[in-house]
Amino acid sequence: MTELFRAFLNVISVIAIPTLIVVFLGWGFVKKVKVYEVFVEGAKEGFQTAVRIIPYLVAMLFAIGVFRASGAMDVLITLLTPATSLIGMPAEALPMALLRPLSGSGSLGLMTEIMKTHGPDSFLGVLVSTMYGSTETTFYVLAVYFGSAAVKNTRHALPAGLIADFFGMIGALLICRILFGV
Amino acid sequence: MLNYVWISMIAIAIVVGVGKDVSDEIANPYRNGRALEVRLDLRRQLDDERTRWEGDLVVGGEIFGTFYGVTAPGPVVRQSVQVTVREGKGTLLLTPGETTSGLWKTMAASGTIKGKLSGTLTNIQVVDGIPTGGSVEFESIRFVKLRAITQAALDFANTAVDISLGLIGIMALWLGLIKVAEEAGLVALLTRALRPLTRRLFPDVPHDHPAVGAMIMNIAANMLGLNNAATPMGLKAMEELNKINPKIGTATNAMCTFLVINTSGLTLIPATAIAVRAAAGSANPGIIIGTSIIGAGCATVAGLIAVKLLQRLPMYRVEGGKGHD
Repeated sequence: MTELFRAFLNVISVIAIPTLIVVFLGWGFVKKVKVYEVFVEGAKEGFQTAVRIIPYLVAMLFAIGVFRASGAMDVLITLLTPATSLIGMPAEALPMALLRPLSGSGSLGLMTEIMKTHGPDSFLGVLVSTMYGSTETTFYVLAVYFGSAAVKNTRHALPAGLIADFFGMIGALLICRILFGV
Repeated sequence: MLNYVWISMIAIAIVVGVGKDVSDEIANPYRNGRALEVRLDLRRQLDDERTRWEGDLVVGGEIFGTFYGVTAPGPVVRQSVQVTVREGKGTLLLTPGETTSGLWKTMAASGTIKGKLSGTLTNIQVVDGIPTGGSVEFESIRFVKLRAITQAALDFANTAVDISLGLIGIMALWLGLIKVAEEAGLVALLTRALRPLTRRLFPDVPHDHPAVGAMIMNIAANMLGLNNAATPMGLKAMEELNKINPKIGTATNAMCTFLVINTSGLTLIPATAIAVRAAAGSANPGIIIGTSIIGAGCATVAGLIAVKLLQRLPMYRVEGGKGHD
């Protein structure tokens, strides 16, 4: 069953983009849209959008980079370990939960590291990869998406995003404990 | 909120960094000013005057452990080095490799020669004109964390620009395709089909607005794990949402809701995690598909509830604009 589902998903990931290109352009052509002219018209906004993001992303990545380089993460982990061990979070998985919303490349490295040490099919291996898949890099998405609309006052987006991350991590922990727990 | 989080991250980084550097001054974990007895196993002569050599520095694991106050890394520590001896005075240059002790790697990262650790060699023992041992005093290592913080600040500023500029091509491609789909009426069709859902999630967005179409396409692309299509569609959606923003520069409720859907990362194919598991030799890399969907599902539901509750709080009310929901 999972094999079938995986095969299905594999097919989707291969054919999705060609299909979208064919459908978008084909539909436009049939509807007598001047496809080339309209495509170019839309595409020229790509540059402005990308450039508009730069200051927002610099501000965000610089702060996260400095925070990680200082070793503040280790201090935070030491402070939080007593609380998180109460809900059955393995000490090795806590850095993953904290790093996931902050840094995509950092949490990817951490996941790879933990799998190398403990094995991908160990409880920890399954748990950290589930955690990785259970949320996005909130700070990065926030900077890029709001950057593209030049939004500086992000209001309640960050707290709501962090609440989502928190419950994503708890959800990942609980489901892994129920299905693969020791 | 972001203002406080942002400044806190930087302030905490500086405080922790300075604290660590000051405590290093007291504990001296890099043993500044103290010499370590080593043997030298120099196999290659680099010049004709017999002054420069290349080979290994060898220390017993126990001695290394005792000297630095760490657990012995193994029975013997071997490290490739270059040694220069002139008129009885020796210098030593250590280039970290795969097997180098983490301590020396950290020291090399803060060394005066970038990425290398230098030291002076005294009490040199010589056999047949080749140095075979002595005492090494490495250069003094200070302010490790502050240096790392400086480096990170510069590196990540560059990374941010690289990422942004790297988006140009893929952004242009998808924005072009979306424009064609819009002109052809395809986006409007999609928007109409999903109106019952979008009306509830984004009550303040006119139901036939182009933003709705872009948001639907972004969410669909995310579900299918098509990351490089999802981002351009999401950014397009944000720009469209901004066109109906009464207070430019401040996020609307719809923007925040859309953002939380994206940061929760609900997807049917957690492609990256599966790929890493497969590369690590997992017997069943896809086993996390189900658990990830549940995890990300929890995140999405919690995020949506949070965003809808928080938008009512007085502190998040948009001043000047209409209540906007």
